[in-house]
Amino acid sequence: MDYLATKYLRPRKIPSTACSGCGLGQAHKKVVMAIDELGLATGDVIWGTGIGCAGRQTFNTWKGDNFAGTHGRAYAIATGLRIALPPDKKIIMTVGDGDAFGIGFLHLLNCARRNVDMTVIVLDNLGYQSTGGQYGWTTPRGYRTDSSPYGMYEPNWTQDGRDVLNILREAGATFLARYTSLQGQEAVEAIKKAILNKGFSLVHMPYPCVTNFAERALGTRKPVEIYKWFMEHTCSMHEKGPADFAFRTGIYYDASNSRPEFAELVKGWVADIQRRYS
Amino acid sequence: MRRTLDTGNAAITEGAILAGCSLFAGYPITPATEIAENMSRRLPQVGGYYVQAEDELTALHICIGGSLGGLKTMTATSGPGFILYADPLGWALGSEIPLVVVNAQRVGPVSGITGAPGQGEFYMSRYPTQGGNYETIVLAPNSVQEAFSITVEAFYLAERFRMPVIILADQLVTDGWESLSIPETPAELEAMRLKVIPRRVKEGPEFYPCTDAIDIPPVVLGHNTGAACSDWTPTPEGYDTEEVDFQHQHAYRLIYKVRNNKDLITRYESYFMDDNPELILVAYGSPSRVVVSAVKQAREKGWKVGALRLISLWPFPDEIFKVPAKYLSVELNYDGQLVREVQRAMPAGSEVHFFGKCGELPTVAELEELMQALLAGKGIKARNWEWEAW
Ligand SMILES: Cc1ncc(C[n+]2csc(CCOP(=O)(O)OP(=O)(O)O)c2C)c(N)n1
Ligand code: SF4
Ligand SMILES: [Mg+2]
Repeated sequence: MDYLATKYLRPRKIPSTACSGCGLGQAHKKVVMAIDELGLATGDVIWGTGIGCAGRQTFNTWKGDNFAGTHGRAYAIATGLRIALPPDKKIIMTVGDGDAFGIGFLHLLNCARRNVDMTVIVLDNLGYQSTGGQYGWTTPRGYRTDSSPYGMYEPNWTQDGRDVLNILREAGATFLARYTSLQGQEAVEAIKKAILNKGFSLVHMPYPCVTNFAERALGTRKPVEIYKWFMEHTCSMHEKGPADFAFRTGIYYDASNSRPEFAELVKGWVADIQRRYS
Repeated sequence: MRRTLDTGNAAITEGAILAGCSLFAGYPITPATEIAENMSRRLPQVGGYYVQAEDELTALHICIGGSLGGLKTMTATSGPGFILYADPLGWALGSEIPLVVVNAQRVGPVSGITGAPGQGEFYMSRYPTQGGNYETIVLAPNSVQEAFSITVEAFYLAERFRMPVIILADQLVTDGWESLSIPETPAELEAMRLKVIPRRVKEGPEFYPCTDAIDIPPVVLGHNTGAACSDWTPTPEGYDTEEVDFQHQHAYRLIYKVRNNKDLITRYESYFMDDNPELILVAYGSPSRVVVSAVKQAREKGWKVGALRLISLWPFPDEIFKVPAKYLSVELNYDGQLVREVQRAMPAGSEVHFFGKCGELPTVAELEELMQALLAGKGIKARNWEWEAW
């Protein structure tokens, strides 16, 4: 087995049960690589997930401690956990796009506002894939899914000059990046930075879903087709990219360690009150 | 012993602090807002944390996270917030997270009248989430002093049973002012028959053993035990599984850890029950105060009536309904909730009746009239829709 898997992951869960050709494993591996390159041990990280392909395929793969929240709630659980845990423990979460940008968005925004120390990796397969392939809030406009048989027509979080990362930046996140699972070491470096930020970090990582998204949107499950389609639609955050839509990638915002982290803020506040009134 | 005059909300706050609660997350709602406010003042004084959440869904999830990290946690709300707990309470029941949830019931449905008491979540506190295959522990105080002691007890049971414990209070108990004694020494605590236990940490590899045993330490993250907890059916190690055998084992544990240790939970008071009374009034929470007064007065008149005052509601104390009699359930709702359980639990040869009030307490005079009618063998007459209309 792969060196990283042997060192950090549980043999019972690896290889995962993801469809063959799915890009989720590439993304998962990047997170583990970043952890390894930072020299972290299993006991340094608490790994959280939600539901869906992203949750199911990554839950309890980590040899250390693990949790999975119900759909969209892992961020709120992590807020309480952050207060309880020693500050040097890292909370790293791998969650779906529906989980983070749909049902859990209110929690996500408030975690950003509070700058709660956690690293959220949004594993974005462009919709609700484990329920069979319905459109979500990053599904590019015009593309077909099982619930948009005539094409996705709604405004989404990543087109028309709107970018979910800008919203999270406004909300107070201190590290934000976007890389696809097909990108290489630059994506790993971004995840490392995200983990090192003592505050709210989010890395948006679109990845190819062959079984559902590719089948409906591109008319084929051949992995090579959606991989090619991903490459064609990937550009840097400063470029405009293809006319229909683009994965604009890069580090969007790095204000690492520049603002008080929530748990530290709470603890400092409590200590201050105790001093004042003792 | 510190003796004060205070509200049920303050009593719950002090009970939680005495029990070692160090994280409270909540969202304002009448008549539980004062618990949040009191917590925001008291917790920092003892080194604990108050978090105001963006909604009740978040509040309970924050409590879950805090508990998962090793803290004792509590949240408090009223009906409109309690319904938002369905998601996190399910998670906490399934993953066996110890914590305390307070519901200061008000009249409903929905917002109802914010400042009026209700008892509409009797069944909802039994089934606060979907999926079945679990039991809940629900305790119902009827005074300020009892709100204090039940809170201490709720934390104790939460730790021992590894599960959320619900305190089902009502607006009159939480807003009402009464004298309150707070123990200050271990001896005073013991004299009140209260116990506090510290959080323990479950070691692996089995985090979800298939057993009805209690006193298994809770799952705590951050100790590198390899712990895993999730919303999925777990294997004993915490892996998510789709094998139905594990589902059976998990359901067995969630149900039978409570059922088979029910004697540690069941609490009630009986009044004049020794001479097989002809008529027995049943109530919990603030209406039980009126019921007890009315029954005492009736006894002075020589009427053969008794009362059962439930303190633990779930698991339902079937075993205390021993005497064949006429039962009258007195509740703060018009639809009749507790009465259905009384009907199920009462022995053969019994008769069941219902008297509900909606948003206000019954009066002793009303109960007296009802008792007289029932003792005379008359069905109780419907006045408006309040009597026997369930
Ligand atoms: C509250 C709730 N609503 C709906 C579901 C059903 N559900 C299971 S997986 C899933 C898809 C989630 O999408 P996403 O987070 O993008 O994950 P993906 O499967 O695409 O990786 C949904 C909607 C659920 N489990 N819980
Ligand atoms: S459905 Fe799509 S995202 Fe889910 S495992 Fe299969 S290929 Fe991957
Ligand atoms: Mg998805």
